[in-house]
Amino acid sequence: MIKIEIDASKCTTPFACKKCLQLCPQAVFLVVAVKVEKFKETDPKEPGSYFLLARYMDKCTGCEDCVKVCPEKAIKLTVEEGSNG
Amino acid sequence: MCWVCDEYGDGTRWFLNPQNYARFMYTVKRPGEVPKEYGSDPEAQSGRILGEIMTAKMQDPEKWAELVKKANQRDMAFPKGPIQLAQTVTLDEAKQLCDLTYPVAGMFCLCRYHMRAQEETNEHEYSCAGLGVGMLKWERWPERYKGGVHFMDADEAKEWLTKWDKAGFMHLLMTFGASPSGGPYVGGLCNCSYPDCGAIRGRLDYGLELNALKGHYVAKVDYDLCNGCGICVQRCQFGALKFEVVKDRPNIDQFRCFGCGLCHSGCPQNAITLVERESLPALKEAW
Repeated sequence: MIKIEIDASKCTTPFACKKCLQLCPQAVFLVVAVKVEKFKETDPKEPGSYFLLARYMDKCTGCEDCVKVCPEKAIKLTVEEGSNG
Repeated sequence: MCWVCDEYGDGTRWFLNPQNYARFMYTVKRPGEVPKEYGSDPEAQSGRILGEIMTAKMQDPEKWAELVKKANQRDMAFPKGPIQLAQTVTLDEAKQLCDLTYPVAGMFCLCRYHMRAQEETNEHEYSCAGLGVGMLKWERWPERYKGGVHFMDADEAKEWLTKWDKAGFMHLLMTFGASPSGGPYVGGLCNCSYPDCGAIRGRLDYGLELNALKGHYVAKVDYDLCNGCGICVQRCQFGALKFEVVKDRPNIDQFRCFGCGLCHSGCPQNAITLVERESLPALKEAW
């Protein structure tokens, strides 16, 4: 079982940064706007406006490319016994 | 006939039936009234169901199989059920439907935005399109239409589709809720690829079929016309095309083929034909 933990206090502008999102060979990540409001476009540079999610975890191979590329050291990957599906 | 056409085609293909492009522009609500069908958010509902299926795949394979079986029942699709219905269409089919709806509004791709943080900020980059009158009120939700939209007439929309087809994207026709006639409302036309399309990924990786139904055709190689250049192999988004080394020709697994026609439109030798899915006994019910 592979687990990815993302420290949101360090990863504050994932949509603007997008390094892990574009690098991941298995496209495991997802970036989502925290709040979608009527008549308002969310600013990618505003800290906390988007959050990063490791959604497609059954596709993760544990290569740790995301851990290495993260400029904020916000991603933690752990490997335990068992499969992700 | 394809079951969606059977139910909503009125004698033709469902996406050539003009009734499925009609929609109320506004609904009048009493204060406090919860919006019904037209106000619900098909993407969010489908996303929740896919989320449950994905979690089950990782934690409980038996539950996963059960959820997939339930979600793939035909009456789970919009407008009868909660799952967003979409079907693979060829470039020619996509061009035909441009004559039935207005406007075709180019916009950014929501899937690539979520999965790769891809930004598409102008008419040259927009790879997705919203269809019909609903798009005229896009400005209410600027985050959903990030960077704005670009309204196209039928001719420009056809050119736009051809451009994305050349680049190697297949076309997926999306529905959003119900039209006044009770059929699915055709509201989106996407240019898609794996793995950054949520619908294709939902089907190939997690088994959710209604999000990306196969199209009306199946691709077939003419081995005499084919010169083995291999261009088609790069264009398949479904893993249906391999290069058969011994034969020095491509091989299409027709059970995996979605009939999008990308290999057909990209072939310099015109060596790939599209045959009607329903002409093949083993595939005619495989949508």
